[in-house]
Amino acid sequence: MNSPQSSHRWIRLIEPACTSCMICARECPSWCISIDSHTEPVAGLPTGARDRTRNALDRFAIDWSLCMYCGICVEECPYDALEWVGDLTKAGPSSESLVEEMAEKPSARTSS
Amino acid sequence: MLPENWLAAVEALRADGFDYFDWLGCVDEIGRQDCFRVILVARNLAKSAEPRMLSCLLPRDDPRIDSVRGVFAGAAWHEREVAELFGVEFVGGERRRLLLDPGFEGTPLRKDEVLAARTGLNWPGAKEPGETDASPSRRRMLPPGVPDPAVWGDRDASQPASDPAEVAESAVGGRVLRRRT
Repeated sequence: MNSPQSSHRWIRLIEPACTSCMICARECPSWCISIDSHTEPVAGLPTGARDRTRNALDRFAIDWSLCMYCGICVEECPYDALEWVGDLTKAGPSSESLVEEMAEKPSARTSS
Repeated sequence: MLPENWLAAVEALRADGFDYFDWLGCVDEIGRQDCFRVILVARNLAKSAEPRMLSCLLPRDDPRIDSVRGVFAGAAWHEREVAELFGVEFVGGERRRLLLDPGFEGTPLRKDEVLAARTGLNWPGAKEPGETDASPSRRRMLPPGVPDPAVWGDRDASQPASDPAEVAESAVGGRVLRRRT
């Protein structure tokens, strides 16, 4: 937990912890979180094991023009993949520029 | 308690030593009974007695009750709040609005109140985990405050309007269940 002066300023995604479960997007009262994900097969299973899939995050965006900094997403995330950070959200010239993409582009991500 | 006995009961409560007004509130009982429940809590500060609660059921189609601001002046604020959020009429009470904009229409805390502006927007939470355009999910989710379009919105106009209890039940958010026909 951050100190009182620094909390409630910016919400950060801890991408490795996110399972794309959509709980934050559904709990958000101002509808500011957008998530895209797809399922991909899990590689490296022992031979004979049943095929498994998992969700892979493609896009995680918070629209700071809608966000009211209530912190419900931080509270609700069952995987602790969102946290408060002391930085201020960046200013922008238009409301579109306040949509912040938080997930790395799939192409930039190292394949796991 | 019947609404006509409300004022006398509050006066009796005060005369009984419970002269510290704590709060007055309202509960929408839709789905259980077709009523609003108005609740008043008063305390006796001289004795460390339990606070005492009075409650009164009002019919939803004509919620009307006597104001108790003559007994507890502080109850006027609570009554104004209940009046505008639930649409309950307090006979003899203060009629000015307390919280909502004067131009606002509606009664936000009634459970059959629909967030109409949201019914036309795309909810980001409607998507399932891992769902893409290439593999759409059969499960449908709705946000809180937005009822199933089959109940409210896309309804057949020739049919009678949905029951408020059905709208309230449908607007709690979550998974859309297949409706029995």
